Amino acid sequence: MSKNERRYVEIANLTKAYPNPFGKDIEVVKDFNMILRKGEIVSVIGHSGCGKSTVLTMVAGLNEISSGSLVVDGREVSGPGPDRAVVFQSPCLLPWMTSLENVMLGVKQVFPHGTKAERKQICEYYLNLVGLADSMHKYPGEMSGGMQQRVGIARAIALKPQVLLLDEPFGRLDSLTRMDLQDVVLEILDREKITTMVITHDVDEAIYMSDRVCMMTNGPEATVGQIIDVPFARPRLRQDVLDDRHYYDFRFSLIAFLEKQEHAKEAHVKAVKERLTRTSSEAGTAATVSV
Amino acid sequence: MPSQEPKADSIKYGLLKFIDITGFKVFDPVVRLCFGEEPQKQLGQIGRFMIVPVIFVFCCMMLWAYVAPRHKTKSGEVPDPTQVWGALVVNDTLHKRENEKEADFLLTGEARTKKIAEVETLLKAKEAEAKTLKETIPEIAASVQSDIDASLAPVQKKYDELKATHKQEVDARKEKIKALAQSVANNEASNEQLIALLREDSVAKKEARETQKAIKEQIAAINDNPPKVLKNTQLQYSSIENEVQHLKKRLDYLNSGNRGQKVEKAEQAVVSAQEKLDAAEEPAAILAAAKSVVKGKEKVERITSQKYPRRATIWFQVWRSLFTVFIGFVLAAAIAIPVGIMCGLNKVVMACLTPLISVFKPVSPVVWLLIFQIVVGAFFPNPETHPLFVFASSLPWIGGLKVNPAMVYSACTVAMCAVWPALVNTALGVSSIDQDHLNVAKVLKLGLWARLTKIIIPSSLPLIFAGLRISLGVGWMVLIAAEALSSSDGLGKYVWDEYQNGSSQTFANIIFACFVVGIIGFFLDRIMIILQRSVSFGDGAATV
Repeated sequence: MSKNERRYVEIANLTKAYPNPFGKDIEVVKDFNMILRKGEIVSVIGHSGCGKSTVLTMVAGLNEISSGSLVVDGREVSGPGPDRAVVFQSPCLLPWMTSLENVMLGVKQVFPHGTKAERKQICEYYLNLVGLADSMHKYPGEMSGGMQQRVGIARAIALKPQVLLLDEPFGRLDSLTRMDLQDVVLEILDREKITTMVITHDVDEAIYMSDRVCMMTNGPEATVGQIIDVPFARPRLRQDVLDDRHYYDFRFSLIAFLEKQEHAKEAHVKAVKERLTRTSSEAGTAATVSV
Repeated sequence: MPSQEPKADSIKYGLLKFIDITGFKVFDPVVRLCFGEEPQKQLGQIGRFMIVPVIFVFCCMMLWAYVAPRHKTKSGEVPDPTQVWGALVVNDTLHKRENEKEADFLLTGEARTKKIAEVETLLKAKEAEAKTLKETIPEIAASVQSDIDASLAPVQKKYDELKATHKQEVDARKEKIKALAQSVANNEASNEQLIALLREDSVAKKEARETQKAIKEQIAAINDNPPKVLKNTQLQYSSIENEVQHLKKRLDYLNSGNRGQKVEKAEQAVVSAQEKLDAAEEPAAILAAAKSVVKGKEKVERITSQKYPRRATIWFQVWRSLFTVFIGFVLAAAIAIPVGIMCGLNKVVMACLTPLISVFKPVSPVVWLLIFQIVVGAFFPNPETHPLFVFASSLPWIGGLKVNPAMVYSACTVAMCAVWPALVNTALGVSSIDQDHLNVAKVLKLGLWARLTKIIIPSSLPLIFAGLRISLGVGWMVLIAAEALSSSDGLGKYVWDEYQNGSSQTFANIIFACFVVGIIGFFLDRIMIILQRSVSFGDGAATV
C-alpha cells in the first residue's frame, strides 16, 4: 500500500466555531484528527448533539471549516463536490423525478462525456444493486422510506466517489429495514472498496459495519475520544459477528465509553450551573452595593 | 358478473379523480351514489352540501325578486331575475341575427336565391301575424278602456268635487278679506287682523294644491299602467315587429346589399366602360373611358375584400375580453417569472426591486391605464397602417376581434396590475426551497442552468402557479374597469355603454353582464387550479 493509500483521507485539526456576539466564539468541534486508509469503513459514534454531523458536513464541504484541513488522496480539498458523495438521514430525493432520473442527475455530472445509453446503463446497474430493479420509474411519493433511502444510496454510489459519507443513513428506518439496508450497503462497499465514513448513534451498527469505530467526546469542543479497531474480517455475516465471543466485550467497552461521556457531561453541566449561580449572586451583591 | 366489477371500479375512481382535479369535489357523493357506494352516507352528503346550498341560492333569488321591483330608480325599477334572464335571451338573439345577416351578406349563387325565397315566406308569415296582432290591440284597448274608465271614474269625480269646493272656499275667503280690508280702512279692525287672515288664506291654498296634486298622481298612475293584457300584447307585437324588421334587413343583405351582387354590378360597370373605351375615338374620350375602367376595377377590388360590418354583440365582447386578458396575463407571466426567480436567488436583486414593488404595487389600475394610454398611444401614430395591427387583422381567429391600440393598452394595464402577485409568489417559492434539495445540488456541483431547471423551478412551480392564479383573477377584474374607461371593446365597454343608455332594458343588461363576468372569472380560476394541481408533486401541493 502506497503512502497515499495508507493516508487516503487525512482530517487534521478540524474545528468548527460559531461566532458568539457576547463573548468568545463557541467551538462545537475542536481539533478533530483522523486518518482513513483507502477502502476503510470508519464509523463515528457519539451522543446526539455532540457534533458528529458537523464533522461529516464539514468533510462533505456543506459546512464551512473554521480551521484545520482536509486532504483526500494527497490533495487538499474544500467546498462540496461529487468526489465526496453524501447519503443524508432523510433520502433528499427530488420528488418531481423518478428514481432513475434522481440517480441520473448525478451521473450526468460525473460522466459528462458518456452517451445517454451508457449513463442509463450505469444508473440501472446501481439501482439494481440496491434492489430497485422494479421501481426505476416510480416517483419518491410512491415508495416507502426504505426504498427511498435505497435510491439515495444508489445516487451516492453511482457518482463513483473517492469518499462516501453516510450521515445516520438508517436513522429514520424501522429495525428490520435497517438491517436489510446495512447488508445492502456492506455488500456494495465490499465490492467497490469505497473509503467510507458512517455517522451513527447505534452501537451495533457501528460494530457490524465498520473496520474502526471512532468515539467522540461530548461537545462543546467535541473531539476524538478513542478509536477502536474492529477485529472481524470482511466480508462479514451478521450471524458470525453476533456469535463471536469478542462481540459483547466490544459492545460493552463502547457503551462504557459513551456512559462515561454522559457522566462527564452531567458533571460539566453541574459545574457550569454552579458557576453561573455564583456569578449571578455576586452580581446581585454588587448591584445592592452600588444602590 | 364478477369480471365487470374492476372495470366499473376503474371508471368510478377515474371519475372521482377527475372531479378532484377540477375542483368540483361537491359532486363526489353523486358519483359514489351512482355506483351504489353507501347510499345512506352519500345521500346525507348530497343533502348537506348540495341541496342546502341550492336552497340557499334559491332563497337569495327570491329575495332579489322581491326587493328589486320595490326600488325605483331613474332608469326604472331594478330588474328582477326573470328580466335578467330576458336580457340573456335578447342578447343571444342579437348575436344570432348578426350571424344570419353576415351569412346572407356572403351568400352567392343558387344558395342565395333559395335563401331569398325562404326569408320571403318567413317574412310574409310574420307580417301577417304582426298585422293581426296590430288589429287586436285597439280591440283589447277598447275592452280594457271600460275597466280603466271604471277605475278612473270615482277618482276623477273626487277630483272634480275637490276642485269645486276649493274654488268656493277661495271665493269665500276673498270676500272675507275684502270686507276686512274695508273695515281696516274704516278703522274698525287692526292691520294685524288683516295680515293674519291673509296668512291663513295662503296656508289654505297650499293645502288645497297638495291634495289636488295627490289625486292627480293617482289618475296618472292608472293611465300609465294599462292592464297586463294590453301591455303583454303590445310587447308581443313589438317583438314580432322587431323580427319583421330583421327579416327585411336580411332581404336587403340578400339582394342589393349582398357582396356578390355588389361585385357583379361593379363588374358590369367595368364591362360597359370597357366597351365604351373600345368604341371611343377621340383622345379625350379615350382617356375618360380608360379612367372610368380603372376606377371601376378599383371598386370591384374594394368590394370583393369587403367584410360584413358586424355590430358588437355580447359574445363578441366576451371573446375580445378573454383575448385581451390572455395577452395581458402572458405578458405579466413573462415578466414576473424570470424576475421573480432572480429575486429569489439573489438577495441583492431582491433589495433592488423591493422599493419598486412596494411603490408600484398599490397603484390603482385606472392610473396605469391613463399612463399606458399616453405611452403606448405614442407608438401607434397611424393604427390603421401599423404593421402590428395589419398583421393581427390578417390572422384567422384574432382578425375578427379588431385588435387596436385601445386593446394594447388595456392589456398592458392588465399586465401591470397582474405582475405583482406572480412576482412576489415566484420569489417566495424560489427562496423557500428545501435546504436538502440545495445540498443535493451542491454535492453534485450542478451548474446554474441544471440547478434552475432540475431543482429550483420544479420545486417552486406550485407557488409560481398559485401566484399566477391570483394574477389572472386580478387581471380579469382590472380588465373590465380598463375597458370601461378606455372604451376598448369588451365586457367593460359593454357595461359602460349600457349605463350610458340608461333605460330599464339596459339596466337588466348590466346585471346580466355582471353574471357573465363572474361566471367567466370562476372558470378562469378553475383552469388555473387544474394547472396548479397538475404541477404539484406528492402531498406537498401548495394551496395558497
